[in-house]
Amino acid sequence: MTEKIISLRTKIETDLKQATDLADLETLRVSVLGKKGEITNLLKSLSQLPPDERRQAGQAANELRDWATLAIADAKGEITAREQANSLATESIDVTLPGRRRTIGRHHPISTTHTQLENLFTRLGFSILEGPHIETVYHNFDALNSPQNHPSRDETDTFYFSDELLLRCHTSPMQIRVMKTQAPPIRIVVPGMTFRRDEIDATHTPAFHQMEGLVVDKGIHFGNLKGMLELIVKELFGPEAQIRLRPSHFPFTEPSAEVDITCYSCKAKTMEGCRVCKGSGWVELWGCGMVHPQVLQNCGIDPTVYSGYAFGLGTDRLTSAVYGITDPRLYFENDMQFLCQF
Amino acid sequence: MNIPISWLRAITPIEDTAAAFAEKITNIGLAVEAIHKPGAEISGVVVGQINSLEKHPDADRLVIAQADIGSEVLQICTAATNLKVGDYIPVAINGANLANGLKIKKGKMRGQESNGMLVSVEELGYTREDYPEAPEDGIYVFSEPHPLGADAKPFFGLDEDVFEFDILSNRPDTNAVVGVAREAAALYSQPFSTPKINVREESPGHASDYVTVEIRDSVRCPRYIARIVTDVKVGPSPGWLRRRLGLAGIRPINNIVDITNYVMLEYGQPLHAFDVTAVAKKDGKHGVVVRTATSGEKFTTLDGEERSLTDTTLLIADHEKPIGIAGIMGGENSRITDDTKTILFESANFDPANIRMSARQLGMRTDASSHYEKGLDPNLAIVSANRAMELIEELNCGKVVPGMVDAYPNPRTTHTFAFKPENIARSLGLDDLTSEEICGYLNRVGIETDKNNIATVPTYRADITIEADLVEEVGRFYGLNRIPSRYIQQVDGKQESATYGPPRHISTAIKDAAVALGYYEARTFPFESAKVFDKLLLPADHPDRTHITIRNPLGEDMRIMRTLPLDGLLESLARNYNNSNEAAYLFELAKTYHPKSLPLTTELAYEPTFLTLATYGPDMDFLTLKGDIEELIANLNIINIGFSRYNLPYTHPGKTALIQTLPGKGENHPPAPIGYMGEVHPKVCGNYEIETTCYIAVLCVEALSQLYVPRRSFTPPSIFPAMTRDLALVIPESVSAAEVETAIRERGGPLLTQVKLFDIYQGPQIEKGHKSMAYNLQLRAKDRTLTDKEAQKTLRSIVDNLQKKLGAQVRDK
Repeated sequence: MTEKIISLRTKIETDLKQATDLADLETLRVSVLGKKGEITNLLKSLSQLPPDERRQAGQAANELRDWATLAIADAKGEITAREQANSLATESIDVTLPGRRRTIGRHHPISTTHTQLENLFTRLGFSILEGPHIETVYHNFDALNSPQNHPSRDETDTFYFSDELLLRCHTSPMQIRVMKTQAPPIRIVVPGMTFRRDEIDATHTPAFHQMEGLVVDKGIHFGNLKGMLELIVKELFGPEAQIRLRPSHFPFTEPSAEVDITCYSCKAKTMEGCRVCKGSGWVELWGCGMVHPQVLQNCGIDPTVYSGYAFGLGTDRLTSAVYGITDPRLYFENDMQFLCQF
Repeated sequence: MNIPISWLRAITPIEDTAAAFAEKITNIGLAVEAIHKPGAEISGVVVGQINSLEKHPDADRLVIAQADIGSEVLQICTAATNLKVGDYIPVAINGANLANGLKIKKGKMRGQESNGMLVSVEELGYTREDYPEAPEDGIYVFSEPHPLGADAKPFFGLDEDVFEFDILSNRPDTNAVVGVAREAAALYSQPFSTPKINVREESPGHASDYVTVEIRDSVRCPRYIARIVTDVKVGPSPGWLRRRLGLAGIRPINNIVDITNYVMLEYGQPLHAFDVTAVAKKDGKHGVVVRTATSGEKFTTLDGEERSLTDTTLLIADHEKPIGIAGIMGGENSRITDDTKTILFESANFDPANIRMSARQLGMRTDASSHYEKGLDPNLAIVSANRAMELIEELNCGKVVPGMVDAYPNPRTTHTFAFKPENIARSLGLDDLTSEEICGYLNRVGIETDKNNIATVPTYRADITIEADLVEEVGRFYGLNRIPSRYIQQVDGKQESATYGPPRHISTAIKDAAVALGYYEARTFPFESAKVFDKLLLPADHPDRTHITIRNPLGEDMRIMRTLPLDGLLESLARNYNNSNEAAYLFELAKTYHPKSLPLTTELAYEPTFLTLATYGPDMDFLTLKGDIEELIANLNIINIGFSRYNLPYTHPGKTALIQTLPGKGENHPPAPIGYMGEVHPKVCGNYEIETTCYIAVLCVEALSQLYVPRRSFTPPSIFPAMTRDLALVIPESVSAAEVETAIRERGGPLLTQVKLFDIYQGPQIEKGHKSMAYNLQLRAKDRTLTDKEAQKTLRSIVDNLQKKLGAQVRDK
């Protein structure tokens, strides 16, 4: 029996040396340790030995089995390592080949501006509303204190459907709709498309976007408006951006102001020949003011108790300012070469 | 409006530089759009005097001049023939820069040294219209001596800063030099009084001996002043006046016209000069009648055009005929000619709304009408009339008849009202501002205040009527930029808000999903051509042809409000196709517009919002787009969606699907449509000149928002192993994939977690009229490891159902 064990071990050692890959090794393992393998058979045959011999031979056979199991595992480890090293040495790809891209789309740049602003305003507790595009003359002009003779009412400036209905020329009519249905305190912003009868050219499109803001409460004053305007500008243009307020005139606010920011093109270095700010160092962005007492009154809000401020952000222009887009027609042409940049 | 700084300084001292002044006055609301520097490119031109003139020895056409420029005498060759010894002339020295980029260098002309150039007005950027006394093709000769060697530019107005002001519509008082000077005085806290006017009135008699004025419509004409000038001498104006006009952008014509323009610039009041002989006499006097025209009345204006008038056009007439259209343009029949001896100067006030309407009706916007339509103070008329008379005398172009005829039935008086200084302080957020400070700011702009806090507003500030207007005045002089910024006060209470669009959360979810799926957000105009319906092949009676028409569109292509959200995106696909973009994946959230009744009068329209996807490209086909829609809808946590065959005029008849919500388990409603999708009809593609296959999908956002589940309740992932089984079926051709899947799911029960169709085949091995469909099914239990036996049982039940319902057979391997 002992010789049998010794010769089997020798044979396994020889076979192990000859096994070059994992398949050879598996064949070897099955032939030795499998259900009908030589060691398995050897162990089975132990029962036929006399008891005194059985103990010794059993020990030797078990040792052989343990040794073979280990040796085959070691060999497997070696072969695996060798094969891995081999394949690592030979396999390689041209990493400069183009990737197989799964493209995502893009939001329209004006939407991105809207989202950024809406996030700011919702953080500050504003509600976001939209309004009808087709509006009444009452909401668009009359209730906003616009004089009957105001040029913006002309058919050359505003699109009309009838004497009573028009395409809103600003988002301000929503001020009226909200103040008529809601008691102060009011904090809203109204993003949306607005329309003016401008021929399409390098600086005009007949449809464009605004975001109206309205706050009405007790004790609202000009300093509150100014604080809000600074927040908006810093949100969009970063902490260094400065604003300048210039007294102006709108029928529905009093006092009224235009908001200028430091030129985003020449960075307020007041360069001669800066096309964006014409050398002034400032760029006009939007109008704002304290809600005109007459407008509050038109909506049934007592101007001796409440006051408010309003602003109308021109978001196409803001977007142009953020990205340096010079031609607003690009916003409506939807060329993939344009849209893929945002 | 353009104003040279020297004109302002003549009225109000301005010590700041032009740039500093521009910034300060902009900050009080008088915006300087730009500072122009005419002649900025010109340098090196000095005053010289001709010492001698000699013929050039080798050139017949040249003379050699010796020009004394103070520091030296320059020899200069010139071709000019208008010079004589002793003339004072502008000299461009070596290195000078002239208009149009001309540079002067010393050199030789036909062998003779020439150390500069004697210059004409053209070389300084002017024409002989600006300088009528300048010779044709000759050197400009100063009419009086100037210091030799002095910079010549100031004598030509070429050292000026000219401000371009943007005038606010409620501040017509600042649309004039005097008005700007008044704001400048307020800016610098200087006292201001309008310049003194002194008229000698040297002609005999009184204006009322010459003329009568009758206003028949005192609403449209609140005031009419007539002054008379005799012994008129029409000729060119002096240089200083022409220069000021030129710098302000008005071309000098002759002294009479120039004076009316000058006063209009200075005071903002348009004037008109009539030849008095054109005004018919009645009872021995020239009778001016201010009346409205009769409808259809014809009248020829100064420019020679015959105009047709309406019954709202205000006319200046005599008792027989019109002689001018009020506030817009004078008549051909009363114009000033070289023979004019006596002039009637009109300084009048007209209703701004009427002037604006008339100018628009007549299609003629003149300098005068644009001043009047902003609304002028009637009290301005008398100052301006007197200023014109002063200039007549100063320019020595006529004799002024004493007095005037002034028809002013309802004089405008100052406006008074009470205010509370503490309200003003609070509105600005400047609680510490004292009553004295507030009144100080108001007094600066000419608003008087008394100890009872009654404000008295001058008549030229018609824009100030209420306390809030005073807030603005105080704010702009205190400085809006000095007001401390405060964050918004805390608002208490929750708002109930009406929304007029789709809720924000669903539109955000939709857009984010579309972008994640590879679509690019587009924006299109909501107005389009009525031809769109034909381009989309809509039958004549199709309900989507019911549209809203813009009364004053920008053109036929933008005449109607869209009823379908397709045209703008199809145009965009066409643009991408034309621009050689290989693929386009566009989406838009946009409204369509539908009348509740027609014609549209007072009732608002119905404006639903749609999500539209429009796309073409090598990777795009019907099923890819369908998959994107399924994924997008799944992303909104909307389940039980079905696609069924559908027909639309503008899509491929075999490749169009209606998208509906199906009744869920235990529900009993009929399927509700939420949208449609399909391949664009090739004819429609042709109509848009797109030579590739396009696909569209349209989903109603309102319908989606009804079904949208912002957060679905959570299902824990199974930790027990899944089993997969392939199922190959032979099925009659007419059976749809939806029917097969429904039959599989009916019997799959909760164990069936996934059904994937991975192959469809028709061919030689398959019986005719049939198709092979291979499915991969995943089975998994939530609470235990599934046994093979259970899986087999489920699979058998599924196969049974497929056989019974659809005549399907399991395909033998």
